[in-house]
Amino acid sequence: MTSSFLSIRNLKKSYGEVVAVDDVSLEIPRGEFLTFLGPSGSGKSTTLYAVAGFDEITSGDILLEDRSILGVPPNRRNIGMVFQRYTLFPHLSVAENVAFPLRVRGQDRTTVKKRVDEMLSLVRLSNFADRMPAQLSGGQQQRVALARALAYDPPVLLMDEPLSALDKKLRDEIQIEIRRIHQETGVTILYVTHDQEEALRLSDRIAVFNHGRIEQIGTGEDLYTKPATRFVAEFIGDSNFLDVASVADQSNGRACATLPDGTVLDGLSTHHVTRHSGRFELMVRPQWLAVAKEGSDGIRITVKDVTYLGDSSSALLETGWGQAIWLKGPAATLRGLTAGQTIMVGWDFAKSELFEI
Amino acid sequence: MALSLDRNFRLALPALAFLLLFFIVPVLALLLRSVMEPEWGFQNYAELFATNTYARVMFNTFMVAGLVTLISLLLGYPVAWLLAIMPRGLANIVFSIILLSMWTNLLARTYAWMVLLQRTGIINKALLSLGIISSPLPLINNLIGVTIGMVYIMLPFIILPLHATMRAIDPVILQASALCGAGKWQAFTRVLLPLSMTGAIAGALMVFVMSLGYFVTPALLGGTSNMMLAEMIAQLVQSLLNWGLGGAAAFVLLSVTMLLYAFQVRFFSGYADIR
Ligand SMILES: Nc1ncnc2c1ncn2[C@@H]1O[C@H](COP(=O)(O)OP(=O)(O)O)[C@@H](O)[C@H]1O
Ligand SMILES: [Mg+2]
Repeated sequence: MTSSFLSIRNLKKSYGEVVAVDDVSLEIPRGEFLTFLGPSGSGKSTTLYAVAGFDEITSGDILLEDRSILGVPPNRRNIGMVFQRYTLFPHLSVAENVAFPLRVRGQDRTTVKKRVDEMLSLVRLSNFADRMPAQLSGGQQQRVALARALAYDPPVLLMDEPLSALDKKLRDEIQIEIRRIHQETGVTILYVTHDQEEALRLSDRIAVFNHGRIEQIGTGEDLYTKPATRFVAEFIGDSNFLDVASVADQSNGRACATLPDGTVLDGLSTHHVTRHSGRFELMVRPQWLAVAKEGSDGIRITVKDVTYLGDSSSALLETGWGQAIWLKGPAATLRGLTAGQTIMVGWDFAKSELFEI
Repeated sequence: MALSLDRNFRLALPALAFLLLFFIVPVLALLLRSVMEPEWGFQNYAELFATNTYARVMFNTFMVAGLVTLISLLLGYPVAWLLAIMPRGLANIVFSIILLSMWTNLLARTYAWMVLLQRTGIINKALLSLGIISSPLPLINNLIGVTIGMVYIMLPFIILPLHATMRAIDPVILQASALCGAGKWQAFTRVLLPLSMTGAIAGALMVFVMSLGYFVTPALLGGTSNMMLAEMIAQLVQSLLNWGLGGAAAFVLLSVTMLLYAFQVRFFSGYADIR
């Protein structure tokens, strides 16, 4: 295996009967911003904590610069971490909190002072050096926690949903700060979130977690345009999944599908199809759908509801076999639609993936 | 502001009246007797500090109280910490045991220690049969016995406030300190200890003050040659009918207690106050 900066190999962690992380492998180059994205309970934190070293893992290995760190206790791993909960030391001022990791490493006063000043200006809290944690807002506390985690120049920074307790506006602001700090320091970051927008905004690559496994890893664009599983297609961006009655003519990564109302769609994409029979679903993004002329390729639907959303509008539609699907588009193109109307909608079938279910 | 002070004052009135009637008045009476009997002046206080036997009793009292406080802290701290990190169910069981011991009659508990500590008691017998000692240790009728008995009685008063402050510490804070590079000892001295300091001080002061005035255990487990203050006061008042000297001794005890309390309020009411 080629050597990457941080490798997680076949990591498994069970709590009694519960398998929290099941055979997770990751190769992370130096300086990457990698996000673990997935629903609650999918094993993101457990994987991150395994890197931090708090719990014994069940099996697998974790290597930093080709050396296993499994035998190294957390306080000797030299890894930085920002937690979901506020973890500043309540009895220490902001400056003393940032100085803490330097003090326990026995650095001298002047070095500590200089570094604390650097770190506080990095997170733009120089004026707050003498405040106590209880006097700071949640966002400020997390920025101090970030300064504290970066103070000793760790090779890897772990962040476990650090912004989940903050409101939307503050979250957006601090996301920008985190990106800037990543660029300025070049530190390798493993970031955990369940918020796809946050993941897309921050990351170089995203690993999508589900049931303790990684469903897919890639850039945000990869995940959106080439989802490897139905789960990823559903988790990244919005998706409709049309019922499929039967699939035929599979060749060259294309196939032809018959929908429950008898409509036949040709040229569908079959990257992830491995069998010829069984049940299938067809992914269609709401943004792909557009009103089509009568008689053109597409499906016949009934309009149920149209919602004006400012820049765009969305419409709730019902197929001939009673399945509800969404259409999303510029407000102008949807202006003519009214509830109860029956129309044709079409899209570029080549983009549409068939998934086995 | 003035309005709310006024309102607070009115709310506190019943309690203040109670204190006046049952605490301030008797204490003032005692104070008066200590400077009035047998004649006006501070001769009782002078006698208390100048007479060798009385000064000795004072010294014994403070030494035993200090020792009891120190030992209770050293024993209680790890117990409180274990209780804080134990699974809830187990911690509740341990708690009931501690509370049960607190609710058991004080005399019964002290007599039990007499049985354990005497020359032919289990402790001496065990040590003798193991060959660790060749003649029984004098564990009773001296300050060793008093200290052992009092530590046992005072332990819950250290454990409970310590446990309360420790349970308020988020374990993630200790994980954070570990990732910051702090080893076990540094996490203890730099994080756990300062964060549990308010509980430790509160418990220690309570134990110290209670020990200063403790009567039953010193009376039963102590010897006649090294009395403690409460015993001395009882003797002065009951046997010798010397209310003046007894009052002076009691007043010294009370003043020390008040000073310690003021000290705690001033310096250890906690970093939580700056909120
Ligand atoms: N200490 C623990 N004891 C038992 N089960 C746990 C423990 N920690 C996590 N789990 C279980 O492991 C799974 C993954 O948890 P976690 O990694 O925290 O998920 P995520 O961070 O993605 O929300 C969950 O099913 C959770 O219930
Ligand atoms: Mg989590």
